[in-house]
Amino acid sequence: MTEPIIRIDRLEKSFGALNVLDGLSFDVMPGEKLALIGPSGSGKTTILRILMTLETISGGHIEVCGEQLFHMQRGGREVPADEAHLHHMRRHIGMVFQHFNLFPHKSVLDNITLAPILTKGEPRAKAEARAMELLEMVGLADKAQAMPSQLSGGQKQRVAIARALALQPRIMLFDEVTSALDPELVEEVLLVMKRLAAETDMTMLLVTHEMGFAHEFADRVLFFDKGRVVEQGPPDTIFRQPTHERTQAFLRKIIAAGHRV
Amino acid sequence: MEWDWGFVADIMPTLLQGLKLTLIVTLLSAVVAAVLGLGFAIARRSANRNVARPVAFVVEFLRGTPLLVQLYFIFYVLPDAGILLPPLVAGVIGMGLHYATYTAEVYRAGIENVPKGQWEAARATNLTMRQTWVHVVIPQAVPPMIPALANYLIAMFKETPLLSAITVLELMNQAKSVANSSYRYIEPMTLVGAFFLAMSLVSVVILRWLERRYGRLGK
Repeated sequence: MTEPIIRIDRLEKSFGALNVLDGLSFDVMPGEKLALIGPSGSGKTTILRILMTLETISGGHIEVCGEQLFHMQRGGREVPADEAHLHHMRRHIGMVFQHFNLFPHKSVLDNITLAPILTKGEPRAKAEARAMELLEMVGLADKAQAMPSQLSGGQKQRVAIARALALQPRIMLFDEVTSALDPELVEEVLLVMKRLAAETDMTMLLVTHEMGFAHEFADRVLFFDKGRVVEQGPPDTIFRQPTHERTQAFLRKIIAAGHRV
Repeated sequence: MEWDWGFVADIMPTLLQGLKLTLIVTLLSAVVAAVLGLGFAIARRSANRNVARPVAFVVEFLRGTPLLVQLYFIFYVLPDAGILLPPLVAGVIGMGLHYATYTAEVYRAGIENVPKGQWEAARATNLTMRQTWVHVVIPQAVPPMIPALANYLIAMFKETPLLSAITVLELMNQAKSVANSSYRYIEPMTLVGAFFLAMSLVSVVILRWLERRYGRLGK
């Protein structure tokens, strides 16, 4: 039996007095496509940010690719991870942000090649060849020399996906990647993600309010509420026959707001 | 008192020599202020409080005391501690250090102007702290700072006469010495004023152009 690629064990996260994650535990298997849904403030974005080490944790453990993410062994004892360990662990993980966060002073091509050249020591020619392949895949090969400010939101987000993929992470995190887009630009980004999900064996965690997309994309859906997983299962079960009352209430609200499920 | 063009012609070479030194001192001090200011700004942002606190103290101390007093300390008091500096070096260090505390504030504003998402994107693409500064933060932070930094450059230029107090033979000092030996003040002092005015007017034109080109902080 294969081991989980991510193990989250009794994770705690608080911002001051506010407990955002409250003893959260779940595993993710390699290649699994996970959708994290739930009301805002339920902790679903926080767990992605913690996995990317953009936030620290307040308690508990996370294991990624068989190694502790926030802890390491020193002298036979478990100690908090130092920056070198976090750097080592981040190789496994890539992230796409709600607001793209492209580097505005660099061309599309340079946005994608910067990290492979700097962090993996790839020769420029090789990094650029791969970047062009990725731009081809997201349908933006003709924009390689453009600056981010010349792109639409949907195009920016597709570049951001290519940038994250260029580092060949085993795990990709998508944090509400269509929330900042105009409605007519959402589809082009979702199409790229669907292809990615179909064509790669990457593990993907997706936080989204697009229930229709989550249904189509995910192998498993986790419903978050108040920093815990309240209910989880295959999309058909969660979206068609949710058992938990809070899941039902959440989906009713989403449908009432005019989203398709 | 009459204006004597013959005297003007006599003292012109000396004054031009002073002007040259004024420009050199300004540029060297500007380089010191630009580099050291960035160091101050980064150090003050350090997560390590043992770095951030002392640097913050030094910056506030230097900004809170007059440049002239600092120059006297560097040139006349440090030799008591065995540190003997030539006037020009003392002047460049004094001016550079003093103005570094101002440029540090400009850098701080510029750095804080870089959105948090840029830091996060750098982290998500696994750049080291150093790479994040060099390739992501500084290239974005610097262009909007350029007009403010140029402003301080002009201010430094106009403060160079203070260096006459520590025997640097810049424009003001040269003018004073010809004035003292000839007992004529009107020509040398008028010329000093005219030189500074001319240079400042040119600088203002360049500054306006920089502001149009790079915009202002906080725009």
